[in-house]
Amino acid sequence: MRFLEVFSSEAKLIFTDVAIVLTIIGGVILYAFLYPQPYSSQSVSGLSVSFVDLDKSKVSREIAFKLNATPQITITRNDMSERDAKEALVKGEVKAIIIIPQNFSKDLTLGLSPTVAVGADSSYFLIYGAVLEGAMKSVLTQSAGIKVAKIMIGGTPMVGAIDAYTPYILQTMNLFNKNNSYTQYVIPAVYIIILQQTMLIGLGILGGGVNERLRRKEKGHYSDAPIWMMMSSRYIIFGLIFFVHMLFYFGFSFSFFEVTHLAKISDILNLGLAFITASISFGIFLGALFNSREIATPVILFSSLPLVFSVGFIWPQEAIPEFIQDISILIPSTSAMQGFLRLNQMGAEFSAILPQFGILWLQALIYAILGYYYINKNRKKYVKN
Amino acid sequence: MFKALSDAFFVELSEIKNSLYKLLLLTLLPIFSFALMILIFYQGVAFELPITVVDNDKSELSRKLLFNIDASPTVKIASQSLNAKDAVELVKSSSVYGVIIIPSHFQRDILQRTQPKVIAMLNAQYILIGKILTGSLVETVAYSAAEVEFMEDLVITQNSDSALNTISPIGLQITPFFNTYENYFLFLVSALLPSIWQIFIVIATIVSFGTLFKEKKEQEYFGTTNITAKIIGKMLPYTFVYTLMGALFLFYIYGTLGWYFEGSFSVTIFGMFLTVVAYQVIALLFFVTGFDYARALSLGAVYTAPAFAFLGVTFPIYNMNSFALFWRDILPISHYVELQISQANYGADVFFEGDKLLFIGAFWLLFIPVIVRFKSRLSL
Repeated sequence: MRFLEVFSSEAKLIFTDVAIVLTIIGGVILYAFLYPQPYSSQSVSGLSVSFVDLDKSKVSREIAFKLNATPQITITRNDMSERDAKEALVKGEVKAIIIIPQNFSKDLTLGLSPTVAVGADSSYFLIYGAVLEGAMKSVLTQSAGIKVAKIMIGGTPMVGAIDAYTPYILQTMNLFNKNNSYTQYVIPAVYIIILQQTMLIGLGILGGGVNERLRRKEKGHYSDAPIWMMMSSRYIIFGLIFFVHMLFYFGFSFSFFEVTHLAKISDILNLGLAFITASISFGIFLGALFNSREIATPVILFSSLPLVFSVGFIWPQEAIPEFIQDISILIPSTSAMQGFLRLNQMGAEFSAILPQFGILWLQALIYAILGYYYINKNRKKYVKN
Repeated sequence: MFKALSDAFFVELSEIKNSLYKLLLLTLLPIFSFALMILIFYQGVAFELPITVVDNDKSELSRKLLFNIDASPTVKIASQSLNAKDAVELVKSSSVYGVIIIPSHFQRDILQRTQPKVIAMLNAQYILIGKILTGSLVETVAYSAAEVEFMEDLVITQNSDSALNTISPIGLQITPFFNTYENYFLFLVSALLPSIWQIFIVIATIVSFGTLFKEKKEQEYFGTTNITAKIIGKMLPYTFVYTLMGALFLFYIYGTLGWYFEGSFSVTIFGMFLTVVAYQVIALLFFVTGFDYARALSLGAVYTAPAFAFLGVTFPIYNMNSFALFWRDILPISHYVELQISQANYGADVFFEGDKLLFIGAFWLLFIPVIVRFKSRLSL
């Protein structure tokens, strides 16, 4: 009986607080749609390029044609000089310049290995990468074609000529994320961080608010109810809400934004349960540390970008200082992202992510104990004096 | 009027001195967040990314190729796998980023000129890492193949110039304009720091006004006269500190770390100043929706947190949909970062920057509804 009373008091505290509701319900739903927006086209294509043809030969026109045929490159300007082209680049009208030098065709016939110059704006690495990829592909095929032609004159038959292009070639294949989709790259990890951060903000406002009331000597269930009852109520309420969020994020939103599903549903739920429980424990613990309602939002907000970038899916772990990785392992989202990406984006077996799974349950336990300890401590501090 | 403004300014200064929280928001917290981002990307270039190999040939030529791959600074051969299946499992567990498979009869096929294929299967889930690896492998394999061919041609023609020429009739010279170092530190950190910076500006502004209202001291503080001047005076210490902070990180990245800054520092810093005020005004706009401290913070969080994704630095704006472009436009930071890039990298003429500065300045107009709301609230 007592438990139901505590539970309904906790529920009232949570659902009558506009800031909490705005974050754990409004924010979560809004973010699900807002974050994927920039990446809706998924990959980079059709970048405008200025083509500076100083040779005006048949070969140079062929190169232009091949460049235009790649998905990455669209020739939008034909400039007369490198200077004009560079000006267009600075104005942002084009993102790259491709220059065919004078006497290109003649040098080619003389066997002088003329050079096609490609200049791309490397301020933006995806743009730079896409232009290079497009230019490489078309110039290399042109190069191959020329080489084939040359050997033909020398009298080698066509089949042999093609093979003679290079002793061996590299064929690259994408494991997972076959189309280099940017949505696929960013969204799964970002969704996990959103779920965790909104959860922490909600529990942080709640815990900070309770501490404020205790300090003001307001009476309520929070000053005398058994702590385990308060904590269990939070596990149930936040657990249910975020379980639904999780289904919405990894079910509906993933299909809506065309993110691959490789993991078994039971595996996702299993990992998800560990992640939600660990986040609730962590949130209860943080909430007990905050002495006012307004500290949670800023502190958790500032940590978002460092948390995302320290996981190692954007910037390789090998290049991140070890102590940063050590600290980030304390936060549930780190193990959750590593585990989730492997399970669902790369199709790993559940046994491969047991370390992450274990860390999450360990966090759930340790932060719960710490949370209990600090709630108890605050209560003694304020209620007795 | 001016007296009211300067009074409000000094009152706020002493408030900041007495509030640990405000002091932290203005100093340690942002510095700590910036330092974290700087440390994460400090290396700037990725070295020794682990891959695994399946060498089905184990010949002189396959070993030579693998040796070259391992010798390249970007890639490290971390293990040898027996077959592709084992290798892919290693990728799935994220202990390596990719697999190189050398086919059986690799050497025989090269000598018989049937052009064998070396296969690289890379983890494209990590797009950036995948791109770095692809670039390095393409280069190394092309170089190793050319080495083999050069030797063959040399044997036939006895002429190294001509041998070199048959390898590749068209050279490709690639020039990265601007970020000429091809370094990810400059590229990411120069956009990440402003993204964190704008969060602090909004939060600190809401904290400053929010605590006043939460403690119900607003009537006493504003009274009935010179309300506008008092609001401005209260904002100014933050304007000053955050502009200074912005200028310092600009000098840190471009001054002390030695990256080129082609354009004008003063234009960029002026842009920063416009941006700081724009965000302060927007923060106040969130606050006047209900004069509720915690709610304003939640709104500020929703607005500022996703900004980085919309900057167009990672994913280009040319491929964004119209909603994303709209959201990008209503974030002053996207116009500021555009200005910073065009000043730092292109050294664009100040004349070109007019529209960006105007766009940021336009957010100042939101101060009008803010004042109206404040006045009606205080006259209650």
